[in-house]
Amino acid sequence: MSITEKILCSKSHEFLLDNGDNTFTIGLTDYAVEQLGDIVFLELPETSTEFKKGETFATVESVKAASEIYMPVSGKILEINEDAVNSPEILNEDSYEKGWLVKIEATGDVQAEQGDLLEYEDYKEELE
Amino acid sequence: MIKETFLHDKHVQLGAKMVDFAGWCMPVQYTSIIEEHKTVREKVGLFDVSHMGEVFVSGKDAIEFLNKLVPQNIEKLNYEKAVYCQLPNNKGGLIDDLIIYKLGILEYLVICNASRIDEDLNWMVRNSKNFDVKIDNRSHEFSLLAVQGPLADTLLRTMGLTTQQESFTIKIAKIAGVKVFISRTGYTGEDGYEILVENRHSEYLWDKILEDGKKFSIKPIGLGARDTLRLEAALHLYGNDLDENTTPVEAGLSWSIPKDKETDYNGKHVIIEQIKNGTSKKLVGLKMLDKAIARHGYEVYKNGGKIGIVTSGGPSPVLGTNIALAYVKNNKEICAGTVVQVMIREKLHDAEIVKRPFVEKRNKIRL
Repeated sequence: MSITEKILCSKSHEFLLDNGDNTFTIGLTDYAVEQLGDIVFLELPETSTEFKKGETFATVESVKAASEIYMPVSGKILEINEDAVNSPEILNEDSYEKGWLVKIEATGDVQAEQGDLLEYEDYKEELE
Repeated sequence: MIKETFLHDKHVQLGAKMVDFAGWCMPVQYTSIIEEHKTVREKVGLFDVSHMGEVFVSGKDAIEFLNKLVPQNIEKLNYEKAVYCQLPNNKGGLIDDLIIYKLGILEYLVICNASRIDEDLNWMVRNSKNFDVKIDNRSHEFSLLAVQGPLADTLLRTMGLTTQQESFTIKIAKIAGVKVFISRTGYTGEDGYEILVENRHSEYLWDKILEDGKKFSIKPIGLGARDTLRLEAALHLYGNDLDENTTPVEAGLSWSIPKDKETDYNGKHVIIEQIKNGTSKKLVGLKMLDKAIARHGYEVYKNGGKIGIVTSGGPSPVLGTNIALAYVKNNKEICAGTVVQVMIREKLHDAEIVKRPFVEKRNKIRL
């Protein structure tokens, strides 16, 4: 099963991957990084910070501009991807397995909060 | 209604990402801004800058008219030469920045920014009342291709260019059999040419330059890299670093303004007074001391107090650091070597004031 079959995507182009142990991985979709172009800077939050669904938790900068990244569900930051901070260009290579951003523990009603997220196929269709 | 250049289909075929720039649908990048940037610094790149404006000014009073519009001395501009100019309003603020070329005894070509063509024309017409002069906007007739980079000259010679041109000169020449105006100018800090070609030949010439340029590893270059290239060269971008409330003296352009021009020009009293007595703000270059990126509109601080504002900023692919242009208070304590702070997402980040340009220009071609 490829990763795009397992993720849910937000309309603001974040993906959410359920790791099956009440933790989730969050990152940017391939569409998002393609639209951004060369990614040159990434600012991620401190671990154990908590964010509500929809809050800005990170910033990504392409050559042209800075963009905010929003929480697809409420959660507490367990781990950040240091490799992505040190070499933000890995997001352009692979934003799912290498260039993920944070791992979180869900702190809200995750089932309800996922309601507005789309499966990858539907997300791609929305873009067209 | 968004405008398209005559090369629009070419950009789409090449897979460019198209964006709205000043009402024009333009390629921002074909593959990667950083890759395209390096191509221009190391090899040669081809840009479509057909959105820029071409205004032909001619007539008995052409010199006197242009002399009233710009601080530069048009009387001293020789045949086939170009000069970088500004278009000040009556307060010395800039309506646009321009390059003026002398094409004939009483015939001049004015190249203006795409976003300012209408303002420039209005201003020119308003100022033309007492002059016997013809102002002819022919922007819609021409495409403008820029061939920039250390291999630009070699490439165009293989395509039949025979003129010997130093920088800031324009000639009529033939490239691949097509008659063009060709000037040794650009907006990248590299050596290179800008080629003004009739629209009906633009697609042919675009393809031919890419084809013949293959052996020089040519790439098409989008506006994204055009911006990072001009920023490394610390060339001003109208709308970011220049506007109607900024004088050329504040913008660090005094070098381009003759102090001995006798005739009056719009804004002269302000500009000359500022050259003599100084200004309250000045343009400086910033080098970020961490990985954060200063962008247009971010505030600049020193010792906790606000001293200015960033007008352009981004990564420098050549230096590997982030750079910016900012207007700061003009006093002696704020100079090259001074460490200041830029407010980025509510945090202060250190930046050092450095000399401009950030990357040494290589476009001073003398024969």
